Amino acid sequence: MPAERPSRRGGLRPGMVWQIAARDLLTTLRDRRTLSATILMPLILIPLFTLGLPLLMGNLIGGQQQARQQLGVVGTLPDGLRRALTTDEKLPDGTVTRAGVELVPVTDPVRAVQDGTVEAALQAAGPLPARAGDGTGTLRLYAKLGNLRAQTGAYSKVQDVVQQYNRQLTTARLKNLGLGADTLEPVRIQPVDASSAQEQRSGQLAFLIPMLMMQFILAGALATALDATAGEKERGTLESLLVAPVRRAEVVTGKLIATATTALTSAAFSVMGFLLSGLIMRAYQARQPGGVATFTQAMGGQLTLSAGGVITLLGVAATTALLISSLIILIGIYARTFKEAQTYVAPINLLVVLPAVMLQFADFLKTGPALYAAPLIGGMLAILDTVKGGGEPAHAALAMLVNLAGTLLFSLLALRSFSREEVIFRN
Amino acid sequence: MLDIQNVTKSYRAYQALRGVTLQAHSGEVFGLLGPNGAGKTTLLRILATLLEPTSGTAVVGGHDIHHDPEGVRRAVGVVNGGMGLPARLTGREVLRSFATLYGLTRAQADARITELDDRLELGRTLDVRAGEYSTGMKQKVVIARAVIHDPPVLILDEAASGLDIFARRTLLDFVHATRAPGRLTVYSTHVMSEVEEVCDRVAILHEGQLLNVSSIPDVLARTGASSLERAFFALVRPDAVRPEASHAR
Repeated sequence: MPAERPSRRGGLRPGMVWQIAARDLLTTLRDRRTLSATILMPLILIPLFTLGLPLLMGNLIGGQQQARQQLGVVGTLPDGLRRALTTDEKLPDGTVTRAGVELVPVTDPVRAVQDGTVEAALQAAGPLPARAGDGTGTLRLYAKLGNLRAQTGAYSKVQDVVQQYNRQLTTARLKNLGLGADTLEPVRIQPVDASSAQEQRSGQLAFLIPMLMMQFILAGALATALDATAGEKERGTLESLLVAPVRRAEVVTGKLIATATTALTSAAFSVMGFLLSGLIMRAYQARQPGGVATFTQAMGGQLTLSAGGVITLLGVAATTALLISSLIILIGIYARTFKEAQTYVAPINLLVVLPAVMLQFADFLKTGPALYAAPLIGGMLAILDTVKGGGEPAHAALAMLVNLAGTLLFSLLALRSFSREEVIFRN
Repeated sequence: MLDIQNVTKSYRAYQALRGVTLQAHSGEVFGLLGPNGAGKTTLLRILATLLEPTSGTAVVGGHDIHHDPEGVRRAVGVVNGGMGLPARLTGREVLRSFATLYGLTRAQADARITELDDRLELGRTLDVRAGEYSTGMKQKVVIARAVIHDPPVLILDEAASGLDIFARRTLLDFVHATRAPGRLTVYSTHVMSEVEEVCDRVAILHEGQLLNVSSIPDVLARTGASSLERAFFALVRPDAVRPEASHAR
């Protein structure tokens, strides 16, 4: 590779850089597929993930509590237990919170469960206690234990009812002995959530926010970067650009700005997706005023940020967008065609997705400065901290600095590639 | 306006250009003739500062390719057969964008676009996205883009390849019209008839070597051939050319 001529170097002229960026941005903006990937998808997918899935799961599990399952019974059960199993549990206003089960006599409980005649089956191994002081007995409960539907239906109801039945008999026995019900539990534990208000609100699914933001930053960056590098080569438009009196550094910077802008736009729409989820959640809560906290938690929490949090989030997202954009431009310029570039960048998806998935176990990590110095991972952790309302500003600053250092390195390598004949004229 | 001195270019063991030296002057349409792989595109890319010569130098429009590449790029307009356009931009947007890169104001750019519209018959092409262009429409806009800044040196490399008869005629008429004092057009092709029609002088390049630089009548006289194609074969493969008389019989 011949050394780049000294006169090709020089400062960046903002007007030239903007022309290159504007041209690439306009091209991106006119691509419907890109617009849907960067704007529509975050607005649809994020509410779907953060509201739809938990709601669906909640409805399915809640539906099992409301449904009256068939429970097979071999032999006879004490009257009190039969009554407890078949009776609905209701609120004072009459709303059924847990429906009872329908008892069905069976002879072979395993077969009855396996062929689906009943969801679970009970068999007493011997006589069962019917009143306080009757001794003990064993009740076999047959169910498909790996089946979530069975676990949340008849199986779970039998366990709850038998527990209550045991407590009832024990309390009666203690009363006969002149002892109170709390004799069995001299020390009680009262859990108190010491999380900050924002941590409590953010919920268990807070890790989804950095994961989805990274995904959409990547999707936005890919849309522009590949078209602006390999796509330009394939169309024969890169050569026409390079014969204009524009410096290679201006070309790389312009393309980086265009790519990072699209990536950031996508990230911004992903945040809007979360805000939209919050609005939908509020509307839903307004219709169900009771149990707001439980509902919010079940839905995966909600995004509430302080002004500092917003700035941190934007800073980390912007620097991550720059890092990912510069990396994709660096890879894209090597490819001869758009298709070839897509093959090259496919592994980048894993670089983003795998650490993002691991974020759900972030509570187990010792989040020292070293982790925040890891490119991409540090950014994701900083976003997660921000969403949860915790984290050190120094950690977020470190993640941003690392992102910027990575951007500089990849940009310099991209500039080197743009100056190499064998890269530019590879096809 | 063009002074090439002993330019060589190697790609590892392969020598694409072997000491090419030639000059072309103001007011000329200068032909560069050679088969595929002769080194024409490599030489023209060196003149456009896209490639670095392994050795030698060139001055284009008064600017040295080593010491003032940006000056060279301001002085030249380049069209080659492989150049394309961004599919989602209209012709006018492409031309305005390049005009800005060459330092033209919006008003200057629009005035120049109107002028080029007349000369190249761009018409509705200007306001249609490039993705919808036919090959001929595309090549017209590519040419307009190359000359948006009114460069003194125009480099056309296989610019007529793939064009239909109408688009090719427009191109050749445009090349004719570029013949003016203070201007030079370098027209590279492997189609002899195009060279015969538009070029004043021609350089014949074969396997990276310059075999001849002269006017068309001179090359015919030197080789004793009746056509440029025969003259070309006489220079490139002297042993394989049969005498014209026996051929005529």
